Parts: sequence; structure tokens; C-alpha cells
Amino acid sequence: MIPQTFEYSKAATLAEALKAVDGGAKPLAGGMSLIPLMKLRLAAPDHLVDIGSIADLNYIKEEGGAIHIGAATTHHQVESSALLRSKCPLLAETASWIGDVQVRNRGTIGGAVAHADPAADYPAALIALEAKFVLANSKGERTVSAADFFVDTFTTALEPGELVREVIVPIEASGVGTAYQKMVQLASGFAIVGIAVRVASVGGKITMARVGVTGVSPKPYRAENVEAALANGDVDAAAKLVSEGVDANSDIHASANYRLQMAKVFCARAIRQAMSRA
Amino acid sequence: MATTVTKHETLVGKSIRRREDPRLITGTATYVDDIQMPGMNHASILRSPHAAAKIKSINIDAAKAHPGVIAVFTGEDTKNVGPVPCGASLPGLRVPHHYILAIDRVYFVGHPIAVVVATDKYIARDAVDLIEVEWEPTTAIADPEKALLAGAPAVHPEWPDNTAFTYHQEGGDTDKAFAEADVVIKQRITSQRLVPNAMETRGVVCEWNLANRSMTLWSSTQIPHLMRTLVGLMLGLEENRLRVITPEVGGGFGSKLNVYAEEALMGFIAMKTGKPVKWIESRRENFLCTIHGRGHVDFYEIAAKKDGTITGLRVKILQDLGAYHQLLTPAIPTLSVLMLPGLYRFKNVSADIVGVFTNCVPTDAYRGAGRPEATHGIERMVDMLAAELKMDPAEIRLKNFVHNDEFPFPTATGLTYDSGDYAAPLNKALGIVDYTALRAKQVEARKAGKLMGIGMSTYGEICALGPSPATPAGGWESATVKVDPTGKVTLMTGSCHHGQGEETTFAQIAADELGIDIDDILVLRGDTAIVQYGIGTFGSRGTAVGGTAMYFALQTLKDKIKRYGAMLLESDDVTFADGSVICNKTGKSVPLAQIAGASYRAMKLPPNTEPGLLATYFWEPPNFTFPFGAHIVVTEVDKETGKIDISRYVAVDDCGRILNPLIVAGQVHGGVAQGLGQALWEHAVYDESGQLVSGEFMDYAMPKASMMPWIEAEHTCTPSPVNPLGVKGVGEAGTIGCSPAMVNSVVDALSVLGVKHIDMPMSSEKIWKLANAQA
Amino acid sequence: MKIAGNYTLALPQDRAYAAMQDPSILSKCMPGIDEMVKTGEDEYTMKMKMALASISSLFSGKVKIADKNPTSSFRLVVEGSGKVGFMKGDGVLKLSTVDGGTLVDYEGDVQVGGTIASVGQRLIDTTAKMMIKRFFDKMGEEAAK
Repeated sequence: MIPQTFEYSKAATLAEALKAVDGGAKPLAGGMSLIPLMKLRLAAPDHLVDIGSIADLNYIKEEGGAIHIGAATTHHQVESSALLRSKCPLLAETASWIGDVQVRNRGTIGGAVAHADPAADYPAALIALEAKFVLANSKGERTVSAADFFVDTFTTALEPGELVREVIVPIEASGVGTAYQKMVQLASGFAIVGIAVRVASVGGKITMARVGVTGVSPKPYRAENVEAALANGDVDAAAKLVSEGVDANSDIHASANYRLQMAKVFCARAIRQAMSRA
Repeated sequence: MATTVTKHETLVGKSIRRREDPRLITGTATYVDDIQMPGMNHASILRSPHAAAKIKSINIDAAKAHPGVIAVFTGEDTKNVGPVPCGASLPGLRVPHHYILAIDRVYFVGHPIAVVVATDKYIARDAVDLIEVEWEPTTAIADPEKALLAGAPAVHPEWPDNTAFTYHQEGGDTDKAFAEADVVIKQRITSQRLVPNAMETRGVVCEWNLANRSMTLWSSTQIPHLMRTLVGLMLGLEENRLRVITPEVGGGFGSKLNVYAEEALMGFIAMKTGKPVKWIESRRENFLCTIHGRGHVDFYEIAAKKDGTITGLRVKILQDLGAYHQLLTPAIPTLSVLMLPGLYRFKNVSADIVGVFTNCVPTDAYRGAGRPEATHGIERMVDMLAAELKMDPAEIRLKNFVHNDEFPFPTATGLTYDSGDYAAPLNKALGIVDYTALRAKQVEARKAGKLMGIGMSTYGEICALGPSPATPAGGWESATVKVDPTGKVTLMTGSCHHGQGEETTFAQIAADELGIDIDDILVLRGDTAIVQYGIGTFGSRGTAVGGTAMYFALQTLKDKIKRYGAMLLESDDVTFADGSVICNKTGKSVPLAQIAGASYRAMKLPPNTEPGLLATYFWEPPNFTFPFGAHIVVTEVDKETGKIDISRYVAVDDCGRILNPLIVAGQVHGGVAQGLGQALWEHAVYDESGQLVSGEFMDYAMPKASMMPWIEAEHTCTPSPVNPLGVKGVGEAGTIGCSPAMVNSVVDALSVLGVKHIDMPMSSEKIWKLANAQA
Repeated sequence: MKIAGNYTLALPQDRAYAAMQDPSILSKCMPGIDEMVKTGEDEYTMKMKMALASISSLFSGKVKIADKNPTSSFRLVVEGSGKVGFMKGDGVLKLSTVDGGTLVDYEGDVQVGGTIASVGQRLIDTTAKMMIKRFFDKMGEEAAK
């Protein structure tokens, strides 16, 4: 469990980090995925630039009617943020399900989304929240939606030389209930199935629904069919659509069929829990 | 002469906090990897990625040329080192020659091929990647049942049937019992392969002193003395020139009850290079190369009368041995056979073992070693029998237990159970859960559509391993007690505790026996140059055998102390109590420190008495001990997901006399955690080509604190007559009792759906499929 | 691990068949292949860089085409090994004409060994799927040129 030789530098500012990344350095934040891969020699970057202690990347703040989260903000900071808990509780709740205490103390939101593990927790919530990602490189910045950011298994819209600088989530309107329901893969703590739901209802009728799904397929997705069907008010019938036609992952922990079925169960549970909180 | 006598507080039986813990939890303890030596090199091992392959060529040139590399060795270099030893002997046992580095063929993923020695561990690891091996993969076989089919690939080409041995044992007349039975039930029951996963992986440091022709070997092991004997033989080094030191050991669970290739390999390297060398096993190597546990596919048949009286048991055990025999590999399933009758009276048992070679890492002792497999089998069969006869599982057990007046009880497998009250822990557990009310609650839960289960196991164990004729390497244990001239006491035990807490319990025994403060007592173990020859810690023997040896050494020493006391007090009528020898006539006393001083100063000696205060005792146990107990688990299965919730876990164990309730509770909790691991989560999965696909913590689910239920641990106490301490052993109890209770509970939950048996691990998906089979 | 699926190439069947056996196209379509050198009839050696998230590793190995049944089926064997382990894919591809082009049905075994097998268990299935999809996507692009 000894990595190959690599160069390490610690960036004090975002500009420094971007310069290093532009030069081919691999960004290191919490290291919760990268370091194990390096120790197994599955990953062997020549140069690591540590962005974990850049103060400019560590914040959770309300600004312009949205909540902005710096890329180097840890999962623990997200789960325990009073601001998020009151104004975007779905993200805080989802963060509390990530790995274990040690992982949450080190892992960062930027690192997690950039790694794009198909069983990571955040993507479900970020898709349901229609979050935006600010991606920076040495020349400037661009903003992409969560839907466009997650491209495939471990593959994102990040171009070489780009870093995730910030994640932007909306302030939840009153009357919106949210929930994250997860079936945990007990060895790794990742999701076998993770469903994030936001619903608003007027007079018992669902007027808005967003459903984000992780763990089930090679990339996280938004279940728009479920969202649309919820207007009919039949939660179970709507939840059953969540894995309709999905090419599900399969491994020693859960077969494709089991994932498809559990997606339905956890989707219904998440919807009901979200409705109860609306 | 002091006359004040302080009443010593009795410590045995009290929950003394472990004296070893402060250094363990503050990171100040010394493990093998903490050892640093001037000029020490580091070794890194190249291992096979193939489960079965011929080695066509190995090119080490680039590795040798890498800056910082001292040497690279392959199997050609080490082929004259003796083979990795197998200590078990069975009639007709086929023993493949287990070279410390593969020569021309590899037999499992992780098989060591070459070793790089370099000035630091990073260079050594980098250079391993520079070794080029040309492979010719052959077909591997990883499944023990398939390995026995005609035409299966041969693990060792010289033995095409993949059979290392067959073994038969029977008692009574099983055929007659089955012929006359009212009911016979058959079931295939598996105990899957598990990875022991001690928190500290293995590690070896070796130093060779050419001038003295002496070697010091530090190893994270449970058996330093046996290792000295065996590694000496492997290296051709006289045993008295080899010193084995076992520093702190971060868990073993049986996986360090072994001698591995790496110990001899580091010895070889130290001798070749003339420099100390260190090798620390990586977690990945630990998964791939340290022994696994269990690996049983068993075929059970139980015979009984209509009234539930069990009359006979037939079992065929397929033991997945892996590719080689490690120290005790083939012996483990024979322990299963001994344990087959469980706590029951029936006298007809017939057992067959087929030891099967597979292209996997060897199996060997893992917490319980053979006994959990058998207990799981018999306890499942008893439940299946109860279900068939529509009897309550508690009732059928109570009906078949050995009666209290039948001890010592000879079993069908040739054991003599020492003592017991087998109904006591079951009745206690039934009382704790309020069994009648609980069953009524279950009826209501079922009406409400809930899948609630109540499961129990009543288990026996074979502990305090054991009488020497019944063990491969001698089953006694040794102890030395010495009192220094200033009165401080050192205990040296031949057992080699590695987390069990004997540094505390042995000191409790000695403090009581000598009537002194526990802080005046030091417990040493694990250094062959300091401690007399010993056997080691495994098989729940540390206290029951090692503690007893200590007790007898203390008696010998006390006799000597009294003789010195009598001399100093000039009286023939003396008593040794509370740390002083007291004259029964005058009431005058002399404390231990003063006696010790006098014994070393030796101005005057009692008749026929040597100077100094030291006593050594080698204790040979007349029998095993047989702890027992009952676990009850209440579960609820979520039909939608297959998730199992444990709502109550009650463990009532009878381990004889309890020396330290806190330590016993810790053993039960840890044992139950590992039992739950087997029942619910853990599985060493090899794919068809022999790749270990659950080879890392991302895929191998260890029990975590957050996954544990609340354990209600209680006890009954039936002292063992085998030793004067009355202790039976508790190290493996939790593991042995847990898995059958757990499976019985979930089978009970799903019995309303017609489920009769579930193999472990009971994953959510497996349970979900069973719960939704009709849908 | 068994793997099966299908993909529709927007090409006539004869062109799809030819493209899938053309080393110049194959080398461009197999994800990460740097070079393919012909060593015999329908046999090539190759070097491949597998890159996925932070994982990247070099493999060298061979590609073999066998059991050719022109325009309707053939067998493709890809073997590679590197420091993190080895992999072998062996499958049969069946072609049939459908509306809009050629339907390619594939079925075979993927065997993975070494570190990647032991530690990447939950990634192998999704990765294999992704690489197959990339192969066909690229094949569609290349063959259309």
C-alpha cells in the first residue's frame, strides 16, 4: 500500500492551484478516494496539488438568493451547517449519510463531485436541487448545471485544467419538503441506492417534485417520469417509474434487478418522508 | 520486623480495568512496525496476480539495477529453505511442498514469487514493479464442490482428484439410529470463507548476528516458541541460536497461530545480506495471503423419534483447504467433528471429511476454528427438526440436553464433557426475553403482516486446548513466577496473550495468591530469550491452561516463601497471608519483600532450599474444558428490502468461574461481533478464475460499531473441575453461539413463507428474494 | 463476468462488419489504445492506456479476431496485462440488418485479475459497460467518415 513517487505542493490560493492544475497537477482535497487509489497504485499522478486548505474554497454562504458552497468544504461542515439545515436541508441530510465520521471530516464536496463515483451520495441531492457548479481554470470560469456535469461513470464535464470552485444550491421555498433515503453498501458506505426527493404540495396535491437518483446506474440521474407522475397523487405508482428502463449496475453486493427494485422502494419512502416534511 | 498487616483486597472476580490499555489507546505501545534498527533494510514481495499459472521466466535485472536496491531473490534462491510447515498429521494426508517463494508454478492469487530488499520501503515497493514475469496461465478452480467433480482442473497436477485427505470418525451405531428413526432431515449447510482481518497486519523484523551466529526475529504472532522451533528448522539454524520476540500484537483471531513463508524469508534475507530487514504486510496482502477462516460445505442428516428425541447425526464435510496446508489447515475440520454432538445426549454420530484443494489462499484457524462450523450445523438441524415435529425450539433442546447427573459425560465423538448445567443458560435467556410473552407478541406481529423471528442457539465448546495427546504440538502451558530481592514480582507466561487481557487477569491471580498490590506485579510474555518454552494463545486456552500453570507456579513459590518466612520467624507454625508470613503462635509477621531480600542475600537458608525466589511450572491439563451457553436473537425482516433488524440480542454464557467480568464481557461482545459478521455481512468471495473479488474493505464488510445491536450479556457459572481456577475459557464463545442463533431467528421470521434454511451471509438481497419468492 | 448487450450502428451490415475488423478503425475505437501492430492474420499486439477518474494504467496485450463468418458474426479476443493486473475479454459479435443500420449483438466473458479485480469489484461492471458504449459510439463516428 505504498504509492508511486509523486511531487506534492500545497496551494495557498485558488490562482496557485489553477496554475498547478493547468500544468497537469492532480488536485488533492480530502483525498478520500484519491489516496486509496494511489496506495493501490491504480492512480499514479506525477504531481499532486493540495487544495484542501485554501481558505477561499472553504465557505457556506447565502448570496444572491442562493447558497454558495466552496469546493473544499467538508461533508461534516455541510451536514452541520445551520444555514443549510434551515435553508437547504436536503444537502445537509445527504451529507450526513456519506461514509463514516472520519470520511466526513476529511472529504470535500468539490472532491466528491469531481470524482463522480456512480454510488456517491451528493449527486442525487444536487440533481434534485438542480444545483450549479462553478468550474474554474486559469483563464476564467463557467457554470454548468448538475444535469450536465455528471457525464458518465467517474466522468464529468470538467475539462483538463479545470477545478470545481463552488457548488450553488437554491434556498428551499417554504412548503417544500425534502428527504434522502439510502440503502447502504455496508463495506464501503456508498449507496446501493440513494434517492433524493423535493416536493411541494398545495391542498394535498403535489405541485412540484424533483427526484435525484444515485447508485443505480453508471451515472446519477433525475427521474423526471416520477416527478411528472406524482401530479396524479399515487406515490407508489410514481415511485415504480424511478428505475423504468434503467440499465442498472451489478456487483457482488447487489444484482441489477435488486437495485432496480430497491430504487422503487426507496423512492416511495423518500417521497413519503419528503411529503411529511413539506 | 514489621508487624502491621494490611488486609489485601481480593481481585479475582472483580472488573479490574485492563492494565495494558493505557499504552494501547495512547499509541505508545510497540508493535513490529515500530522497531527501528541501524542499517535496517526493507523487503517488498512480488505476488502472483494469477490463481493458477506456470512461471515461464522471471527477469529481475531492472529491479536489481534500481538505485537503493540491495538484493532481489526468487524461488531459485530460496528453494533450499525448508517448506512452510504443516503441523497437522492425518492418515494418508497429501502435503504439497510449500516453498517459501514459488519456483515454477503459482497456486493462488497472492502466491509469493520474488522479494526485493532495499534501503527503504518505498524503493523496495517501486522495484517490485520492475520485475518482469512471463506467465502461462492455467485453469484455476476456486469452488470446493466443483473441484471434486470429474474433469475439474487439478490444483496440484500430481493429485488430479484435488483431495488432500479423507477422514472418517464414528461413534455408536448411526446406521441403526437412522433405520429406526421416525424422522430424518437432510440439509446442505455452508460456512463461508472469512478473512480474519486483525487490526494489525502481520509483520516481521529479522536481525542476523554473524559473529555470534545468532538471530533475533520479531514477529506479530500468537506462538513465539513454536515459531522459534519451526523457523529454526526451516533455516537450518539451531534453535538455541534463534530468539523470537513478539512485541505488541494487534489481534490474531487464529490468523497468527501460524508460521508463514515470510518469517523464514526474512531470516534468509538477514543471513544473506548481513543486515536487519523488515517486512510489514499490507492490508491487501493480508486479504490475499494470510489464512482465511471457515470454508465449509457440509451435508447434514439428523435422525429422531417422533417425540423429538435426537438419535443420530450423519455429516459429510467438504473443507476448502486452499492450495496448501498452513500450520493446522487439515486439522481444523477434525475439531468440527469432535463438536458435532453439541450439548445433546445422542450417542450415534458418523462423520466424513473430504479435504479439498482449491486455488485459493489456505484456510486455517479462525476464532472458534472448526467449532463454529459444527455448532452452526447441529443448531440449525435441531431447529429444522423442531419445525418438522412442530415442537418449540427451546423445548426440543431441553429434551435432548445431557443431564446434570451424567457428567463427566462421554460423547459419541470420544470427548468427556467436564461439567455443565446445559438447561441453566437457556432457561436464563428465556427468562430474560420473557419467552412466552415474546412468542405471543410474535403471533400478533405475524397477524399484522410483520416478519418477526425468534432464534436461539445452545452451544458447547471445546476449550482450554488441550491435553497434549489431543493436540499437534503439546497442549500444556508454562509459567514462571519470580520475586526480585526488593519484593517486586514478575510473572512470565508461556502463553502469548495478544489482546485477551491476561496482563490483567494473571496479575489478579498472583495479587490474590501472594496478597500483594497488583501494581507490584509485572507480566511478561512473548520473548523466547526471557520466557521459558511455552505453547501460545489460541483455542480459548490462555487463562484456562496458562493461568492454571501460573496458579501452580504460585503455589510452588508460596511454599518456598513460607519456608523462608518460617526460618526468619524461627517458627514451624506459620501461615502465608496478605503478603506476609505470620507466626501462628506469636502473631509476628515478615513481609514478602523482606523474605525476598533474605532469600537472595542467603546468609542462611531453610533446609533443602535454594537461594532466590523463583518457581516454574509446566501444567499438563487432564482434559479440555467445555463451556456452554445460550443465545437468543429477536429479529424483524423488512419484506420490502430484505433488511434484518436485530431488536434483541441476549447472550448467556457459562465459561466457568469468571476472573474479570469486564474482560469476559469484552470477549463476548467481540465474539458476537465476529459471529454477526459471518451470519450477516462477511464473505471472502473468489470468482471462477480464483480472483478474490472482496479483497479490500470497500467490498469486504467488517462489522462496525454502528452495525452492532445492544448485547445483553449474562452468565451462569458452572466451575470446571479440570483446573483449580474453575475457569473454562471465553475467547470464542460469542462467535460460536452467534451465527446459528442469528440464522435460526431469520429462518423463524421467514418460516411463515415456507423458508426452512438460509445460508450465510444473510445479505439483504438474499433475504429479499426469499421473502418475495411467491410474488 | 458475463457481459451482453447490443448497439445499433448507422451503417449497412457489410460496412459495419468490415469496419469492426479494420485495425486502423479498431485502434481508434478501443478506448485508450495507443498502437496496434499486426503480428499475424487477424492478430495484433497493442498498448492501451486505461484512464478512468483518477485511475490510469498501462496495459500491453493482444487483439485477435477469429471464427469469422463474414458480415454476420465474428469473435473478438482482447487481452492485456499491466502492473495493476490483467484483463481478458472474449466475445462473439453478431450482426443483423435492422431499420437504420446494423444491430450488433454482443455476448461474452470479461475476466479481470490482480489489483483491479480485488479492489475495483463494484466498478468493473459499470466500467466495462462504459467502455463498450464508447467503443461503439466511436465506431459509429469513424465508420461514417
